[in-house]
Amino acid sequence: RAAPHPTAEDVIRADGVERRRHAHPEVPRFDHGSRVPGWDDAVDLDKDPAVVPDPAVLDVPAALRTEIEAAMARYPDSRSAALPALAAVQRHHGWCSPEAIEQAACVMRLTPGYLTAVATFYDMFETSPVGPHAIYVCTNISCSLRGADALHEAILAAADGDPAFNVRSFECLGACDIAPMASVDGVYIGPLEPDDAPGLLADLRAGRAPLPDKQLSRRPSADPAAGDYPGGPGA
Amino acid sequence: MPRPERQTITFSIDGLEVEAPENTMLADAAKYGDIEIPVFCYEPKLGDPVGACRMCLVEIEGIPKLQTACSSPVKDGMVVHTQTARVKEAQRSVVEFLLINHPLDCPVCDKGGECPLQDITFGWGPGRSRFIEPKRHFRKPLELSPLIAIDRERCILCYRCVRFSQELAEDYQLVLLERGAHSFVGTFDGHPYVAPFSGNIIELCPVGALTSIPYRFRARPWDIEGAGSICMLCPAQCNTELTVRDERVLRVLDRHHEGVDDGWLCDKGRFAYQAIHVDDRLTTPLLRDGDGELRPAGWDDALARAAELLAGAGDRTAALAGSTATNEEGMLLARMLRDALGSPHLDSRSGPPVDLDHLRALGAPALQASVPDLEFAHAVLVLDCEPVDDAPILEMRIRKGVRRNRVKLAVATSRPSALDPSAAATARFAPGHAAAFLAALSGALAGAPDLDDLAAAAGCTAPELTGLAAALEGAQDVVVLYHDRILGGPDADADAAAGLLALAGQLGLARTPGAGLIGIPEAANGRGLREAGVLPNAGPGLSAPPAGGRGAPGIAEGLANGDLDVLYLLGSDPLRSHPGRRAWEAGLAAAGGVIAHAAFLTEGIRDHADVVFPAEATAEKEGTVTHPDGRVQRLRPAIGRPGDVRPEWQVLHELSGRLGSDPGLPTIALCSEALFAAVPFYAGLTLTELGGRGIRWPVRPGAGELLPGGPDTATTGEADGGGTAAGGAQPTPTPTPAPTPTPRRSNALTAPGARLLLGTYRSIWAAPEVEYAPALKFLAREQRVELSPADAARLGIRQGDEVLVTGGADQQVRGRAELRNAIPEGRVFLEAGIAEHAANGIDGPLVSLHRATSTNGGPSGSGTPARARA
Amino acid sequence: MTPSAKLLFKGIDEPGLATLAGYERRGGYQALRRALAMPAEDVLGELLASGLRGRGGAGFAMGKKASFLPKGTMDKYLVCNADESEPGTFKDRELMQKNPHLLIEGIVIAAHAAAINRAFIYIRGEYEQQARILDRALAEAEAAGYIGDRVLGTDLSLPLVLHRGAGAYICGEETGLLDSLEGKRGNPRLKPPFPANQGLYQGPTLINNVETLATVPAIIAMGGAEYAKLGTETSTGTKLVSVSGHVQRPGNYEVELGTPSREIIYDMAGGPPPGREVKLWFPGGSSSPVLTAEDLDLPYDFDSMAKAGSMLGSGAIIVVDDSTPVLDVALKLAKFYRHESCGKCTPCREGTNWTVQMLERIERGEATPMDLDIMASVQEHIIGHCLCVLGDAMAMPIGSMIKKFRPEFEAHMEAMQLGAPVASEAALAAQGAA
Ligand SMILES: Cc1cc2nc3c(=O)[nH]c(=O)nc-3n(C[C@H](O)[C@H](O)[C@H](O)COP(=O)(O)O)c2cc1C
Ligand code: SF4
Ligand code: FES
Repeated sequence: RAAPHPTAEDVIRADGVERRRHAHPEVPRFDHGSRVPGWDDAVDLDKDPAVVPDPAVLDVPAALRTEIEAAMARYPDSRSAALPALAAVQRHHGWCSPEAIEQAACVMRLTPGYLTAVATFYDMFETSPVGPHAIYVCTNISCSLRGADALHEAILAAADGDPAFNVRSFECLGACDIAPMASVDGVYIGPLEPDDAPGLLADLRAGRAPLPDKQLSRRPSADPAAGDYPGGPGA
Repeated sequence: MPRPERQTITFSIDGLEVEAPENTMLADAAKYGDIEIPVFCYEPKLGDPVGACRMCLVEIEGIPKLQTACSSPVKDGMVVHTQTARVKEAQRSVVEFLLINHPLDCPVCDKGGECPLQDITFGWGPGRSRFIEPKRHFRKPLELSPLIAIDRERCILCYRCVRFSQELAEDYQLVLLERGAHSFVGTFDGHPYVAPFSGNIIELCPVGALTSIPYRFRARPWDIEGAGSICMLCPAQCNTELTVRDERVLRVLDRHHEGVDDGWLCDKGRFAYQAIHVDDRLTTPLLRDGDGELRPAGWDDALARAAELLAGAGDRTAALAGSTATNEEGMLLARMLRDALGSPHLDSRSGPPVDLDHLRALGAPALQASVPDLEFAHAVLVLDCEPVDDAPILEMRIRKGVRRNRVKLAVATSRPSALDPSAAATARFAPGHAAAFLAALSGALAGAPDLDDLAAAAGCTAPELTGLAAALEGAQDVVVLYHDRILGGPDADADAAAGLLALAGQLGLARTPGAGLIGIPEAANGRGLREAGVLPNAGPGLSAPPAGGRGAPGIAEGLANGDLDVLYLLGSDPLRSHPGRRAWEAGLAAAGGVIAHAAFLTEGIRDHADVVFPAEATAEKEGTVTHPDGRVQRLRPAIGRPGDVRPEWQVLHELSGRLGSDPGLPTIALCSEALFAAVPFYAGLTLTELGGRGIRWPVRPGAGELLPGGPDTATTGEADGGGTAAGGAQPTPTPTPAPTPTPRRSNALTAPGARLLLGTYRSIWAAPEVEYAPALKFLAREQRVELSPADAARLGIRQGDEVLVTGGADQQVRGRAELRNAIPEGRVFLEAGIAEHAANGIDGPLVSLHRATSTNGGPSGSGTPARARA
Repeated sequence: MTPSAKLLFKGIDEPGLATLAGYERRGGYQALRRALAMPAEDVLGELLASGLRGRGGAGFAMGKKASFLPKGTMDKYLVCNADESEPGTFKDRELMQKNPHLLIEGIVIAAHAAAINRAFIYIRGEYEQQARILDRALAEAEAAGYIGDRVLGTDLSLPLVLHRGAGAYICGEETGLLDSLEGKRGNPRLKPPFPANQGLYQGPTLINNVETLATVPAIIAMGGAEYAKLGTETSTGTKLVSVSGHVQRPGNYEVELGTPSREIIYDMAGGPPPGREVKLWFPGGSSSPVLTAEDLDLPYDFDSMAKAGSMLGSGAIIVVDDSTPVLDVALKLAKFYRHESCGKCTPCREGTNWTVQMLERIERGEATPMDLDIMASVQEHIIGHCLCVLGDAMAMPIGSMIKKFRPEFEAHMEAMQLGAPVASEAALAAQGAA
């Protein structure tokens, strides 16, 4: 989510790696701007203080209320259900909108501020509207050693701003064995080539399972002993 | 619950052998050896250390890694180093890290000169930074609320403010958003941080990130002086330090008193100082002239006119004292009425008088709990009291006890309480049914077999009663926090005091150390005024007066029917603060004269007073006041009086003299002496002894004999309970058989559903100071009609609708509907003490509600917006 | 050494293993029955005897940690750490996906050993498919009486709840995990108190990694002493190693601890692509200080890695060959840690941020060798000064890269100053010259 560094530069290519270099080796000082939405925001003094929403005045869809209450019942301390509750409202509303957070807060008897603090801490909670298809491209070390950055660019280019897609570069998704990879609506797919991008998006647009042949669930273990069962390849 | 006791141990720090209480955190223990360990995130008031800033790293022998001194409990024989090269390098590096993004705008920063970051950088920092990357820059300052500005560049993410909001005030409004270097302090979706205690974060912030908007750029630390004072805006009487520059109060800070405020202030106390210096404040006497206008007048004329009115009325004079009136003023008022005028009609409470024996019993030293007891009791019962409104700082104390010491909290109120979520048990009884409720609770504690009838009479449920009883039963020491309204406020039954005493007996409060009662009076110095003799049925020290007089409701009636003639108001405006507005309007209108001490022309004064003396602000006053837990505290003037304002005690003294009964107390010190002499249990106190911290008279030696009484002796015959020595093994309290309660069915409870039972409350913000202090104006309240969703649905009322509430004899108030799930069906709550459409405009107990057809003249907009600064 | 010792992965690709029937067919839950027939102390004794060290990163002896829990009746918790977010690590994923009941069985046995009455699995939010598989397995196990009330008719009751995270590396740190599980931001807590005394909901809590717990049934089945014969004396047993990066056959391999690293990287994972050489490798996830080609013959176990100045960590080997500039690796990592720093403590929050900015400056060619010294000193100011070890997890590898590849950094700086292209070969030559 970091903004690109806005400096004057020229580009040097070395060993196939693109490098950016300043025309003058001078430290840019005081470039203005926020890296994070919110830093520059004042409060709106016309709003009420955000206290625990009273069920008497806030409607929560019944299914959502049931789901959150069920989650609360699973724990000795109902507050543990904060993450499941946020996940539930995000699924229902598409993102953790203020309204969604208020609904979760109302059921959990917490302030919306508390839940916002939680939601903004975790990468998977969206605090601004996003497209319904989540495409997390792993760009951490192991994947990037195998071309993840190019893959990310390719998927971004293929999506071309289509509001149906929420393409994000993500930290290590725990699937470096299929690097470079992406998690598409929760389904791990890899290894991916930049050329796979259009096909992947086409599958999603058509409502098909994305690139079924490349899904992790189909992949055998690398360890030869994994096939060591009656009738297995390693037996 | 036993208070923590700490042994003294010896440890070594930088080669010095130092004695300190065991297990104090090293950061504090080092101070015993005069060694300072720098800290940012550590603030003992906030609870357990979090070890976030890493400023306090020190070397402890035997532990390879550097340790945070803020979180390392000191042990006997520990060897600590704070000056080694390793420690110094760590400290320098932390300062360097903190300064990476901290702007160098000290010259324009309000914190400059009193900034821990400045001091620590100077003392422990590296001197220069190696960080040459661009610092982050953002818009600043931004408003966090109408009271607090936030400068996020300066924030060092020490977590103090958000911990305060979440773990101390427990309002959970101020939070940290995002993660890592992107973290920032903020609120939900741009909502302002408006909460009763929000201002404390300004004092907590160790940098200039959170500043007070009213104080911004008003002064530098070297321009100002601090003056110790006491906040007299509510009975909690928090200790304050006023920041004074050029005879103006510019800021109010806490003056940490463990026995009173625990180092916190509410926002009313913190920001209402502005009302001292507003143009609306009266600074000259006013006289009502022939054409009915109040006009400025000289003191001679005003005093003469007042004396004339009083002399004319003689024993048909009545007096009310309230708000900030001191003990000395109360004493002088009582003497003027009783000695100079021969009138017994004076009161400092708004309801009918309480039986003197009961008053004495309730005030008995053995029954008095202290404020810290709230924190260490096994259980606390909050009875018909909303601490955040009635004595805000005590709410924080109760929360602290629940959070840190697992105090069991039981809340028994009519209106849902802000403390409900922290409570182990709650009960909702019908407004005005405290006596029935006390009987029912006693029954439940005594194990009465059938609670249903008792519960029905109180308007609560049997499971609520058993729940409360369960929370209280196992507890060794219980503190009961009740509000005076239970004893005979507008809607209480007369035998509530007896019921309360019976409950105290049942819970063994008088014989258990750490247990007891704390009664919150209506007026900030209600207890002091009562003890100084400002009651119709009690003289100084709760002595029997020569003659009994009328209480406040009787005074209103007497004025209206001509039995009484002149009303003397010392810091009281009954139209604002007393129930039964219609009766008071009639009384004031019929009065032959009204004389008032007032700082502001509130409605009753403006429309009815004939003589108005400009009143002192608390910051200008001298004298003593008494805290609800019996702590006599001293007020000293921090600033001079503006304009022609004269001390109230002088005015009272002068008038008595003109009426032919000179008290002969020409200085305030003599007045205090006379007070201490007149009140037996204040005997021997001196102003010097009171000092800046005050003295709780109930724990002075021999106090028990000076105010005998108490439930164990008076009501329940448990006198032998005194044999249990403090700290000794407690015999299991033998449950006293409750006075077999006879459930009385009130017809209010069985009334047809068309009408609702009226309850009233007075919010923390219902105070003239809030309306007059520019910074607080936005909090001044408009009437909101709180009702249950079920009733709202039945009456076709939606959230935010304009509602007319109609009581007896076609009285009406208008307000905005506020639906609350926690309000039991059949009840409606209105706010008292506000400027317009206050609850006292209608008489209950039953009222009817309907949606207003026209929206003219009422409040507009939805809900109750935190309107921008006026 | 028995090269065939495969306790966790043998036949793990067998179809149907993830179901209760499939698992039971292979003798699943027999170890549990056996453990439940033993007194708790004896089960704990087996765990102690096995010498099993935690597989999550710190390598603390599992039996010992379990024995730290206070005795007596109170609510005690077991939390299985399935957050697996350490870059390069993906072993727990494969275990949970293919053999979820093995983990469940291990959890129940461990709970019995430490008299625990409530358990949670904290799985990272991104593992959606694995969470579904686990949920199904939990339902089956509960229906069969392996978890829940009165396990297999004994006095042990163990509600086991799967809790999904939502994307935060720091929630793998055990106390950050506890806060997250309590519904808060996943900020690590100050230690002491340690979780064994005051963990989840202030109660005594045992926290172990997925692989650690999944090893428990094998220990009970074969006996702790027998298990201890595998591996080396201080690094007993087998370990799942996730090999990734520049190798030809990335994946998880189960090896006996003490196997030469070269064998894992080259023989099993196929080594770097043809024509490429190993330039550096992380032996235990991205948080471990880097090793070079010189270290390839070290035995892969806890102590050897520590002796070489690095650590076994989560058992994730990331191989970087000579096609990639070390600066790229450093920058990638530093950005990761900056992104994942929780922000609670100063050195980590500011130090990761500062390091990224310095590395970016180096990349842009606006730095001098002096900046390398500053950067190295910043890493030293982070190490050992933070609230948890996330800061160290960046500072140690970055510090090791500056130390071991300083000439390459300097060559880059020089080349950028001159405006000349940087050739990796040139950098390598410079390194050789140093
Ligand atoms: C920043 C950080 C991240 C961690 N991430 C994980 C993780 O993803 N999975 C894990 O099992 N342990 C992780 N750990 C280690 C845990 O704190 C803890 O030591 C481990 O779960 C204990 O289990 P074990 O004894 O079975 O290894 C992490 C530690 C740190 C400091
Ligand atoms: S605003 Fe002040 S009190 Fe709050 S985290 Fe920042 S520095 Fe600390
Ligand atoms: S004062 Fe000790 S870590 Fe902040």
